[in-house]
Amino acid sequence: MHHPRLRKAKSNDLIAAFLMVSPAIVFTLAMIIFPIGYALFLSLTKWVPGSSVTQFVGLSNFRRMLGDHVFWLSFRVTMILFIACLLLETIIGIYLGILLSKDLPGQKVLQAVILIPSIIASVAIGMMWIQILDPTLGFANYLLSIGGLKPLAWLANPGTVLQSLIIIDVWQWSPFMALIITGGMRTLPSEPFEAALIDGANKWQIFRFVTLPLLRPVIMVAILLRSVDLVRFFDTVYIMTQGGPNNASMTLNVYSYLQGFNYMDMSYGSAIMLFLLLLVILISLVITKLRRRMS
Amino acid sequence: MNNTKRTISLVSTITIMVLLMALVSGCGQVTQASLNGGKTNKQSETITVLAEKHPWTTAIQPYIPEFEKQTGIKVNLMILSEQQQRDKSLMTLQAKSPDIDVFMSLKSLEGLAYEKAGFYEDLDKYIRDAKLTPADYKVNDFMKGPFDGERIEGKLVGIPIIVEGPVVFYRKDLFAQYNIPIPKTLNDLVRAAQTVEQKSKGRIYGVALRGLAPAVSYTFGTFFHNMGLEWFDSNGNLNFNKPGAVKAIDTYCTLAAKYGPPGAVNNNFYQSSSLFAQGKVAMEIDASNELASITDPNNSKVIGKIGVFPIPAGPGGNHPTVLQWGISMSAYSQHKDAAWEFIRWATSPDMQLKLALKGIASPRSSTWENTQFKASLRDATKKEWAKTLEFIMKNGNPEVGPPAIKEAAVRQVIGNNIDKVMLGSETPQQAADAIQQGVTEVIKQ
Repeated sequence: MHHPRLRKAKSNDLIAAFLMVSPAIVFTLAMIIFPIGYALFLSLTKWVPGSSVTQFVGLSNFRRMLGDHVFWLSFRVTMILFIACLLLETIIGIYLGILLSKDLPGQKVLQAVILIPSIIASVAIGMMWIQILDPTLGFANYLLSIGGLKPLAWLANPGTVLQSLIIIDVWQWSPFMALIITGGMRTLPSEPFEAALIDGANKWQIFRFVTLPLLRPVIMVAILLRSVDLVRFFDTVYIMTQGGPNNASMTLNVYSYLQGFNYMDMSYGSAIMLFLLLLVILISLVITKLRRRMS
Repeated sequence: MNNTKRTISLVSTITIMVLLMALVSGCGQVTQASLNGGKTNKQSETITVLAEKHPWTTAIQPYIPEFEKQTGIKVNLMILSEQQQRDKSLMTLQAKSPDIDVFMSLKSLEGLAYEKAGFYEDLDKYIRDAKLTPADYKVNDFMKGPFDGERIEGKLVGIPIIVEGPVVFYRKDLFAQYNIPIPKTLNDLVRAAQTVEQKSKGRIYGVALRGLAPAVSYTFGTFFHNMGLEWFDSNGNLNFNKPGAVKAIDTYCTLAAKYGPPGAVNNNFYQSSSLFAQGKVAMEIDASNELASITDPNNSKVIGKIGVFPIPAGPGGNHPTVLQWGISMSAYSQHKDAAWEFIRWATSPDMQLKLALKGIASPRSSTWENTQFKASLRDATKKEWAKTLEFIMKNGNPEVGPPAIKEAAVRQVIGNNIDKVMLGSETPQQAADAIQQGVTEVIKQ
């Protein structure tokens, strides 16, 4: 009781502090913890439309998952799309990003134009590419025919559907990677570059031994952001192929949605979603570890 | 003292958090209350109608203010795309929420699952009550096929609003040029498609039909039924182990893979109608509703050259798939009488005639006999279209796919295996076996 005023101030501070963080806590509880908890609950029960009776079934949804060949197929498709898109988007993103950071004439216009694909809603992009890739009416096959090449079935062939999806995703998201990298380029100090020039380094050497190492933290952030999105590959696939033909483009996210909503099996859908969540966490952990080790 | 204060601050923090949560979750109701708050009249009720973005919705929307004026019931029309509308209705009804009063529902897809779940209000009692349903509603005017399609396990769960079915749209000019008679049998249909490809030297494809797995059953069903097969035999076993099933798959896939456009395996109505409207195919097998898009002056190059006939008969006769959309009442609605008033108004003989004049195929026979409606079928295409639809309604089979609670999963199995045949990775026999096994497994789940 020696410093009543001080103590009073302290406890008022405490209330104020709680008040200030409480929206964040409420938000986290309502939007993150609760849905994950509920998904976990659903995955351990048998969900019956119209019934509010809970019937626990233990791990049987997860057991079913392990024996479901479409699940494993969609896991494979998800990983192929993830690795191929991430690799291409990173390489093209770095190249474009460095190009955009140079003060070229028309640079501002170019930057605005190449960002368009990342801004348009994915549903619209899906509809647009359905038309471009239509085997009979599409622009893509028209281009091939001008070049004297044979037309392709693109999305309608299990052998080419993934390549088509990769092309679309790279077209859509490389500019986004480029934007982050351009931002990074602009913050780099000019001294190391000048020093390298004085030391007689050529362009490749400057890129390899100066630009890339300095950009590494930015690139890792871009990769991390993109990876999480890529593992959850959904909208364009859902619009264009619904996982077809014959499950050749089924991603985990699409499969889970189909199971949950179209086949009205929320429990199994939730189990797949939890697996996807685990996958996302694992991948971001690996990338974060890599990032720490590099810096 | 110190501890007490800490406790007090903790308690107040928790209280505030709880209040905040209540605020967040209560937001919806707050807005609704303030919306209704404007009117003090106790009789004014608001009902929510959940509709799909569908030609029927577009056609009826302008008349809704009339209904509001007549009855004093406010209609909150919520329009979503098909799958989103289905997701929304499933989630709302699963939560036993009174947020939806009337909703569009496709009985051939979710009907059995929703009925088992208890989502549908029984409409028989409203129809039978003379106070709720005056005689001028003319229940017996509804055609048997679509009206029975709204009955599940004996219970009336909806009222039909529009009828459709898969038909064959064809190019009259090409048929005349290549001297092709209108196909009378499924074999004729294959021959017609073949002739087009041969005589046009591959410039024009024979026929566009559905390949996208979840959508195949709708057009494939007629091929299956025309082999003389129902989806299930009298013991409730699936009929895909019969020779007719193999023949149906073979015919369908021959059309798609040999005489269809490349990539038919991914096509739905959207792609097929684009191909037909652009003059790239001589026939299109798809929903009768597609007439609107293939005669759209902005996109179509073939207006005035289009004819329509039913999918031809097979060895087992002709049993076209007929599909009706209906509106249903939620069992959890708190404005059931007002909801029924809306349903009755929207499906009255008068309104269905008005909608028919805007191109919505009516499930009431009086509409089709109406002179005003007949006069509206001016051009030859429209006349053939109407004749074909009447044929479908009289002979139709309302089961788009084998009825099951997991209907969509069943149709996916059928679609996937038909696609494998189109892609050449399975024979029709293997596909029939795989469907027999796969669908039986889904039904057991």
